[in-house]
Amino acid sequence: MSGFWQARATLRLAGILAVAVIGLSLGAMGLQYRLVGDRLVAQTRAVLAADLDGLAALYAQRRIIALRQAIEYRAAVDVAGEMLVLADRGGRVLAGTHSVWPGLAATGEGFAVAGAVRFVADGQAWLGVSRVLPGGFPLLVARALTPVEATLASLRRGILALALALVVAGSAVGWVAARGVMGRIGRINALADRVAAGELDARLPGPRSHDEFGLLEGHVHAMLDRIQALNRATHRLSDSIAHELRTPMHRMMQKLARIEGQAVADDLRAEMRAAVRVFDSLLDISRAEADQGAGGLIPVDLTAVAAGVWDLYTALAEDKGLICKADLADGLWVLGDRTLIAQVLSNLFDNAIKYCAAGDSLTLSLTEGPDRHVMRVADTGPGLPDDIRGEAFERFVRADRDRARPGHGLGLTLVRAIAARHGARLTQPAADRGFVLEIAWPRLAV
Amino acid sequence: MDRILIVEDDAETAGAVARAVREVGCLPVVCGTLAEGEAAAADDFRVIVLDRMLPGGDGVAAIARIRAGGAGALILVLSALGRAAQRVEGLEKGADDYLAKPFEPDELRARLRALLRLGTVQALDNDLLAFGELEIRLKARTVHVKRAHVAVSPKEFELITYFARNAGQTVTRMQLLENVWNLHFDPQTNVVDVHVGRLRRKLEQAGSAAIRTARGEGYVFAPLGLG
Repeated sequence: MSGFWQARATLRLAGILAVAVIGLSLGAMGLQYRLVGDRLVAQTRAVLAADLDGLAALYAQRRIIALRQAIEYRAAVDVAGEMLVLADRGGRVLAGTHSVWPGLAATGEGFAVAGAVRFVADGQAWLGVSRVLPGGFPLLVARALTPVEATLASLRRGILALALALVVAGSAVGWVAARGVMGRIGRINALADRVAAGELDARLPGPRSHDEFGLLEGHVHAMLDRIQALNRATHRLSDSIAHELRTPMHRMMQKLARIEGQAVADDLRAEMRAAVRVFDSLLDISRAEADQGAGGLIPVDLTAVAAGVWDLYTALAEDKGLICKADLADGLWVLGDRTLIAQVLSNLFDNAIKYCAAGDSLTLSLTEGPDRHVMRVADTGPGLPDDIRGEAFERFVRADRDRARPGHGLGLTLVRAIAARHGARLTQPAADRGFVLEIAWPRLAV
Repeated sequence: MDRILIVEDDAETAGAVARAVREVGCLPVVCGTLAEGEAAAADDFRVIVLDRMLPGGDGVAAIARIRAGGAGALILVLSALGRAAQRVEGLEKGADDYLAKPFEPDELRARLRALLRLGTVQALDNDLLAFGELEIRLKARTVHVKRAHVAVSPKEFELITYFARNAGQTVTRMQLLENVWNLHFDPQTNVVDVHVGRLRRKLEQAGSAAIRTARGEGYVFAPLGLG
């Protein structure tokens, strides 16, 4: 899952880079397009100004007659891309390239190019001025914008083609770059996944490259070596402790057996059993913590284990006057260690029976969830005292209240360590009274 | 006389085990290393008491080799590696029983007797186990005392069946927990006592004093006044 998100992140980065490069290129091309467009329009405007100057000179010589002659002459030649129309007071066309006034209303006087407007006539765009000459003669002078628009259109086509090429090239470059990075990160991720699955001795094959990735791989390897060494030391230490402590205790036990009929010998045996239990618990805790996330778990019928331990303990609880109630969903499986799960329940029930009084209730429920099965153990006893709330799961933490009771403050620590070994989540839901603990076991993927 | 092989490097422990072996009426043979033990295992022994942390290796790892060598003996692992996980590991790797050090001699004797008995009593495929007035019907899973039906829970039925298979011998609490509940750790409280107590009261009410407390370690099922 994490590998997938990592891949997504790399692709996203490559995408952002590609989009940025493409965006900048398109922006630059857009600016150029505008400059070219403005320049072409300015050129057309200059031509229009020259036309107007010429007409103004003719008008200055012989007024309307000269204009009319010049326009008729020009219309006869029929220069494409040029529009010249002169009308009389009644709107009738006197001379021009068009026999009908093209519709641009005449405003203002004189032959200045200022105020030239873009308009559409004959299905094409024009830049022109329309004036009323003294005596009420409307005059229209315009130049076609067709060449300008054709140039801009081909420029647009060029930009579009270039943009498409950029998108393709950018994506390709981004993809290649992302794949390179993803491949390097993916190797490390795959290694981390293998280690998380319990393969502590997994390492990346081949030599390290001399770059940041090689450095990262080197760091990861160094950390894994250290974890593996610590883990091995924990395992070796716990076996040695077991051996070195149990052997002398064993000799004591054998010698005690020769003392017959003395109550003190029985007491001593019980004390020794309790001592063995304490260091067994400590070893179980450190082993479960060291094995956290490691493999070696098998499918376990959680319902069956819970029902078995519940059956074992309810007899004792009922004898003590507790009201026992269990609600177990059928056939819930988890990946786990049957003995460890049974130890969790055993510790929790032991505590409940130890601290609850007659009339209290003890309930166990097991409910199926979408990705976790929730095991809930609740009693209505005194609950955790305030002075240890928050640290009740630490080793050897016991409430002042309970000093007189037997116990070593390891039960809940073991519960937590075993839950962590299984990737289960521990929560203590709020309750009015008593001790409530929920353990959410990851369900077995089918 | 039946012989029992003891593979144990600690002389004192080996001596204690040998004493227990003689007390159950067998002849002890002691080996100090794993290699010696494996070589000796080919002989005819009823039970092999096997240590784990031995000169030459882990006894549990040798179980498969011993079995492959054709030894028909039952194997009791006796080890300082006594955490629940290690006991389960030993049993999964083929041990017939697993006892953690330090052990009490009573416990070891009970285990040895149970194994010796397991070797002789073949699978109880006959339906009826009868002990005088007390009858256990395996297929119907019912218990009768003096022809009267005694209502027992499923767990109590398994309990009385286990007792019946070891009739006349001391059965320890730990044995009950391991064999009837299949739990391989030592609970803080004697949860088993309550169950045995209930079964015992039911039988007594029906008129059978079959289950008695054995001095110290456990219980004896002796419906005919045995033990």
